[in-house]
Amino acid sequence: MNKQLSIKLKAIDICLNFGGVAALSDISFDVREGEMLAVIGPNGAGKTSILNCINGFYRPQKGGMTFEDQNIYHLPPHQIARLGIGRTFQNIELFTGLSVLDNLMAARHLHLRRGALAGAIYFGPARREEIRHREVVEDIIDLLEMEPYRKKLVGLLPYGVRKRVELGRALALEPKLLLLDEPMAGMNLEEKEDMARFIIDIHEIKQIPIVLVEHDMEVVMDIAERLVVLDFGKKIAEGNPEEIRQNTLVIRAYLGEEEVEA
Amino acid sequence: MAENTLPKLLKKNAEKYGDRRIAMRVKDRGLWQRFTWRDYYENVKYFSLGLISLGMKREDKISILGENKPEIFWAEIAVQAAGGTAVDIYTDCTPPEVKFYVTDSDSTFVVAHDQEQVDKLLQIKDDLPLVKKVIYWDPKGLWNYEDPILISFPNMIQLGKDYEKSHPGLFEESIENGREEEIALICYTSGTTGLPKGAMISHRGLVAIAQAWRDVDHWSDQDRYVSFLHPAWITEQAVGVAGQLVSGMEVNFPEEPETVQENIREIGPTILFFAPRLWENINRMVQAKITDTSALRRWIYHLLLPIGYKTAEYRLSKRRLGILWKLLHQMAHWVLFRSLRDRVGLSRIRCAYTAGSAVSPDILNYFQAIGVNIKQLYGGSEQGLVTIHLDGEIKYETCGPPMPGVEVRLSPEGEILVKGENIFSGYYKNIEATQEKIRDGWYYTGDFGYIDDDRHLVVIDRMEDLKELKGGRKFSPQFAEIRLRFFPYIKDALVIGGEDKDYVTAIINIDLDNVGRWAEARRIPYTTFTDLSQKSEVIELIKKDIQRINKFLPKWSRIKIFVNLHKEFDADEAELTRTRKLRRTFVESRYSDLITALYGKDQEYNMEASITYRDGRKGVIKTAIQINQVEEEIQ
Repeated sequence: MNKQLSIKLKAIDICLNFGGVAALSDISFDVREGEMLAVIGPNGAGKTSILNCINGFYRPQKGGMTFEDQNIYHLPPHQIARLGIGRTFQNIELFTGLSVLDNLMAARHLHLRRGALAGAIYFGPARREEIRHREVVEDIIDLLEMEPYRKKLVGLLPYGVRKRVELGRALALEPKLLLLDEPMAGMNLEEKEDMARFIIDIHEIKQIPIVLVEHDMEVVMDIAERLVVLDFGKKIAEGNPEEIRQNTLVIRAYLGEEEVEA
Repeated sequence: MAENTLPKLLKKNAEKYGDRRIAMRVKDRGLWQRFTWRDYYENVKYFSLGLISLGMKREDKISILGENKPEIFWAEIAVQAAGGTAVDIYTDCTPPEVKFYVTDSDSTFVVAHDQEQVDKLLQIKDDLPLVKKVIYWDPKGLWNYEDPILISFPNMIQLGKDYEKSHPGLFEESIENGREEEIALICYTSGTTGLPKGAMISHRGLVAIAQAWRDVDHWSDQDRYVSFLHPAWITEQAVGVAGQLVSGMEVNFPEEPETVQENIREIGPTILFFAPRLWENINRMVQAKITDTSALRRWIYHLLLPIGYKTAEYRLSKRRLGILWKLLHQMAHWVLFRSLRDRVGLSRIRCAYTAGSAVSPDILNYFQAIGVNIKQLYGGSEQGLVTIHLDGEIKYETCGPPMPGVEVRLSPEGEILVKGENIFSGYYKNIEATQEKIRDGWYYTGDFGYIDDDRHLVVIDRMEDLKELKGGRKFSPQFAEIRLRFFPYIKDALVIGGEDKDYVTAIINIDLDNVGRWAEARRIPYTTFTDLSQKSEVIELIKKDIQRINKFLPKWSRIKIFVNLHKEFDADEAELTRTRKLRRTFVESRYSDLITALYGKDQEYNMEASITYRDGRKGVIKTAIQINQVEEEIQ
């Protein structure tokens, strides 16, 4: 293993088939300490499948996966979350009947030490614990500028804000690795800019590696440090934004076979 | 010795209240954080020493660019304690605007709120050779900024603490050296005409205004105020900054501009100052909610509201109500007004103020009816606080009688002239303009008005905004506009006329929310703002509103033709000022072709307008606008 790069997550030859369809074939890549890695590719290239393999939603047929040198291959999702991998979903998955605050507090359950009874009595250590968690959550609300929505029901919030709440919930886990699945999908330009700013802020303040699956090339090229490009379940390129921009395979995957100007 | 500067007043309050009373509250991380008078004083002290240690001299100017937060107040008093002048700048200014204010005021430091403001300054810093440091207090997003011009608020406090060790007593001495004629503030006039000018306001003037105001409305340390108006407004300086220092009231700061309404409800302020638009917004919001509520509640609301109106009428004219009415009012209070006021956070309100631009009498009447003691006043950066309504002497059309110690008279042309301690000390670096506006101690306000039999001042309009129709008959467009704006379906209006014109016309901005809801209820389909505004049903709706106000106008100044504009007036396109006043001259020249069409024979006008999108791009849109005639209503 290549140690000097300080690899956080390593995926080795991942193969994922749905019946006869090969969603991913022999995908290998690393996520390095503190980096912003983007996974891009045309529709159906397997971007979301990769995230689902990392956090255990899908069980690949073949391959290996290590996180912090620990084997996480075929572990169930809740154990992977406990190890410190947080994620957001392309289609928002929140408790729509709870407030923003409660959604974020619920995400802290991994870090709760006191039992349900102590929490219900809300006395002594349980109370101190709740206050501590609330502080963490308030920091996230401040970071993502969600003050006006703190006590609003998630179901009543606009789409762009819900995306933010989801990001907040992933952060509430205090993850060591953050997986973001199309955080900017379906947003207008202003919301996209805000979201890009939040992602950069998170990256700066938390110093954790982020894996970003995104459709919007412009945003990705601006904020990612390194990219992995997929096409039909195969990795066709890997490198920094400049290298990717020059890569003929990538240009072909995105723009078709026609000759394109440099 | 009398405390005649703001820092001296702060020192006195800190000695009087110490840690026993709260001076400020700010909502942060979901909690109301408290600062006592001692906290206030110490932050000011060390920030001030920090500035001095970085080379600030007496009479230096320092620009402050931030939203209402305790830090803005601390920074301002700290600057003044070091003998300097604070220059507040609106946070939504663009970098070139910021550059103008910082350069024009010769600022040597800039205090900036957060990343957004810091980014503006870094963008223009090469053009600001005088600026030594940019001080920020909200570190979010700024962790990796390494520009040596930046320094954080806590670092400044630390610098101040270190400096005190080598210079003990310097701060107290610096406060003692403050003289009342020193300039405390430079307030840039909002610039409805020409380039903004910096009005210099002395400690004496500011303290005089605040003390007079305190005495009129009996402000005390039992009062609570929510600081919401931007400190670049003289009124926020007079209430929130100086008013607090002369009365000891508690000042509360909202968490974010978006959470103001919620925060006001949590605090339950006794004193509140809103620009007319905000009162209009609250009124509009209540009306919209009532439209949406259940039929029973709506019925109760409409049944009990007239009781409020009747009671308010008697109270304001100092007549006594009969026992039956008193009982009815008590009942209406418990059933409706109490909870209605609570919903909008006004349950404990003692003094509610409004000023800035003319406000519709109907709005004032509405708030008095639901039991909010709303008062209008007249003032400005240059003239200070001139008149204010007194309890029990409120007339909706007026701005109240002159404040104690303020003289008001009219020039032969009807211009309002003001004399007293409250007027400003002149324009910064602009003696010509000063001499033009202050003659023999009288400040020429440029406002047209009259004084009624009860000594109340009525401000009609800016002198230059009065219009004449063909034949020399004068009319005030604004007079009609504010009455139009009160209708829930009209958001804004521009009323047009002129010496070459026979009649009066209007450009209307419909209110998207309310008209949209109205259209929905009637199953009128629409796509965009533009589409909705040109629907024949909507045109009829607006026409009815115009006919209603036409009844109150002299025949010649009635609106004969109007159009619903295809878009809203927008501050980003310079159609409104930052305080959301209409920039008449600019708008009239921008839509000059449309206005020509209003006086022509066509039934429709094809608008080709260049618009600026949110991200700065420009585009052209084409729209057909209906030109509509307002018929005289048959009585």
